[in-house]
Amino acid sequence: MSMSSAILEVHAVGKSFPGVKALSNVSMQVHRGEVVAFVGENGAGKSTLLKILCGDYQLDEGSLFLDGTEVSHASPLDARNAGFRLVRQEPEIVPYISVAENVFVGEYPQLPGQRVDFAKMRAIVNGMLKDYGFEGMLDVRALGNTLSPAQMHIVEILRALKDGVKVIAFDEPTSSLTKREADRLFDLIRKLRTQGLGIIYVSHRLHEVMEIADRVVVLKDGVPTGDLKIAQTSQDDIIRLMVGRELAHGYKRTETSTDRVVLEVRNLTSRWHKDISFQIRAGEIVGFGGLVGAGRTELAKVIFGALALESGTIRICGEVKKIKSPADAIQANIGFAPEDRKAEGLILVRSVIENVSLAVYARLARFGILRNSAVVSMVSPLVKKLDIKTPSMDMVVGKLSGGNQQKVVLARWLAAKPQLLILDEPTRAVDVGAKAEIYKLMDELAADGMAIMMISSEMPELLSMSDRIIVMRDGEISSPIEKKDATEEVLLNFALGKNAA
Amino acid sequence: MTTTEQQGTPVQEARRPGIFKRFLDFTGAENLSLIIALVIMVALISTQTEFFFSARNLLNIGQNMAVVGLIAVGMTVVIVSAGLDISVGSIAGAASVVCALVVTHLGTVLGGVVFGMGIGIALGLVNATIIAILRVNPVVATLATFSAFRGIAFLIAPGGRPVGALDPTLALLGSGRILQIGDFPGIPIAFVILVFVAVSAHFVLSSTVFGRTLYSMGGNPQAARLAGINLTRMKYYVYAISGALAGLAGVIVTARTSSGQPASGTQGLELEAITAVFLGGALLAGGKGSIVGTMLAVLLLATLSNGMNLLGIPTFYQLVAKGLLLVLAVAIGQWRLARDERVQAKITAGGGTP
Repeated sequence: MSMSSAILEVHAVGKSFPGVKALSNVSMQVHRGEVVAFVGENGAGKSTLLKILCGDYQLDEGSLFLDGTEVSHASPLDARNAGFRLVRQEPEIVPYISVAENVFVGEYPQLPGQRVDFAKMRAIVNGMLKDYGFEGMLDVRALGNTLSPAQMHIVEILRALKDGVKVIAFDEPTSSLTKREADRLFDLIRKLRTQGLGIIYVSHRLHEVMEIADRVVVLKDGVPTGDLKIAQTSQDDIIRLMVGRELAHGYKRTETSTDRVVLEVRNLTSRWHKDISFQIRAGEIVGFGGLVGAGRTELAKVIFGALALESGTIRICGEVKKIKSPADAIQANIGFAPEDRKAEGLILVRSVIENVSLAVYARLARFGILRNSAVVSMVSPLVKKLDIKTPSMDMVVGKLSGGNQQKVVLARWLAAKPQLLILDEPTRAVDVGAKAEIYKLMDELAADGMAIMMISSEMPELLSMSDRIIVMRDGEISSPIEKKDATEEVLLNFALGKNAA
Repeated sequence: MTTTEQQGTPVQEARRPGIFKRFLDFTGAENLSLIIALVIMVALISTQTEFFFSARNLLNIGQNMAVVGLIAVGMTVVIVSAGLDISVGSIAGAASVVCALVVTHLGTVLGGVVFGMGIGIALGLVNATIIAILRVNPVVATLATFSAFRGIAFLIAPGGRPVGALDPTLALLGSGRILQIGDFPGIPIAFVILVFVAVSAHFVLSSTVFGRTLYSMGGNPQAARLAGINLTRMKYYVYAISGALAGLAGVIVTARTSSGQPASGTQGLELEAITAVFLGGALLAGGKGSIVGTMLAVLLLATLSNGMNLLGIPTFYQLVAKGLLLVLAVAIGQWRLARDERVQAKITAGGGTP
């Protein structure tokens, strides 16, 4: 089945998660001395495929062949022993041990009597630094916590190349590198290519893909939509293959925008952002698109007072608000449903009723004593309205399903009745049924005059729910795109910065 | 994929609960095992010694509970907030000395109580500052003040020795009794204070904005902050309450021994209180715990030492028994948690979330 020259063959691989088919029928090959790029939108299945290759996930269907033999990759160690290496986007570096130890962590060379052979370790690492063109960029005695992101990346690469490597995959390798460092990395990749390794290059940056790859495999919704030779394709062709999906669970939004500006951000600057200005009007849903890491979640948190604002102004209904904490933001009539609801949204060990009423305790109390009847008569209708499926309002939230947990977070902000509601990935890890209900709710809230800022990495969601879409890239924003002008292609061009270097 | 939701029933209308159900609601299902343990222990001890059920002995138990009980109430507040206060024994020592000094020099018992609790609050605010402003982990912060506050207690006691405070009114707080009618030996005033404090604390934790906010903040500080809760201010309240109650416990130590004790009588209280709070069903991670559970645990521990004393079992065995009890209680708690997590995993797998 496997061709002799293919060092890695992925054959009809499928992977499902409850409610989602993450990959289906993916087949591809990597040959010796070939650089194959994986591209696709957020959630297209690139990470899932990488995780299967490096043994983090097990495949449900299909098979993998490495160097002609079928491999099962039951664990990351199996994958490593078989010769597959992943250079992770965010390397795990042990802070208080040296670079040499970091490279050899877990398999130190030994002297008799269980002693670690530090001299040998350093000599090997120094040799590798020289061989791979990183000489002078890294001191083998430096401690892990003193390394720059680029240096950490080198350590991760050395770990991967140490011994017995056949296929090496780079996951977004240039995201933390400067242009010069990236050029060095490309030199290294070309060197590895001449050594006959199979190389996988995963990146959002299409100009890099065009520069370094020999072939590109495009994924969309877990299905390969193209397998092209770089020499015979263009960035536009690739983008076309990445998009063009049916609006599968598209929801028709009612047009409810008004002229009343609720949120006006002017020249907002922070550690993550440069000079951001935009407006959201009452009754309007403004979608925020862009790649993961573009600064969207951070923008929401700066507006909500959870992260520090350096300069610029935030106006709510025309009035400048000094927001220094989430409590100030709530005072200013802002609500925020965070992306990671388990870590940041919910008190998992407490009940539904507590989680819903939490932000408005002060309104439900007299002299600091909560009026139980007021709490129940506020929460009970919300539980009904959102159809939160729970045996009782005293149920611990941690025991509910993902969709119902998300509804609990939304119920909290409905209770607070904000003028501006910020939703960060409102339907992440939510099943299809609950998703439709959440869309309907957002529509109703907008119709009632609420301004909604919706951050989403799902194109269909952005396109169907937003009245306007603002795309972010590297902490800056594009001008808003009106709904009628928005297509996946336009958004992707902005997000990837195709025309910028 | 199917979109099976968990238990497809909507919110049920509240039914009128039966008396047993209401009792359970008050004590909490988790505390049922404590009650059962208490009943078994009482049954065992009373078959061995008749004196156990005498009014005098029962009231002794009550009296002995007071000091550790007050500290345990404060500790419950701290642990529910996901903190820990190791310095309470030392605060009680300092408060004991301050109370004795105020009573002997100013001749006012009320002043002694106020200043005793006042120094407790002040030291609690020091803890809060170290934890909330300097961002030191509560365990490390109060381990440091555990040592420092004990030193302060010795420093303010002239010559580092106990301060005699012979005042009949003050002594009432320590060993006085009310309702001494006929044969009935009366109820210790210290126990009455504990009951009053515990009932108030139960009300505060279950029915006030502060109390409910406390559970949210302990359960997930990050989420609580994003829901508009001022964590810094909450921490100040929490450690001030813990300090105030430790101060009150110190005052009672002074009253009982008629002297301000920098160390004796308050050493090791923090460990006993922490034991009681965990035994009472609280989680070290915060967000869970109740005054009812803590008080049952304090009662259980007091009964255990009383019964073993009556039976003439050496103290060493008592220490081992307390340790075993705590391990057992926490292990049961962990088992419950793991079971809940399995349930949650099942729901997630069926509920359509990747």
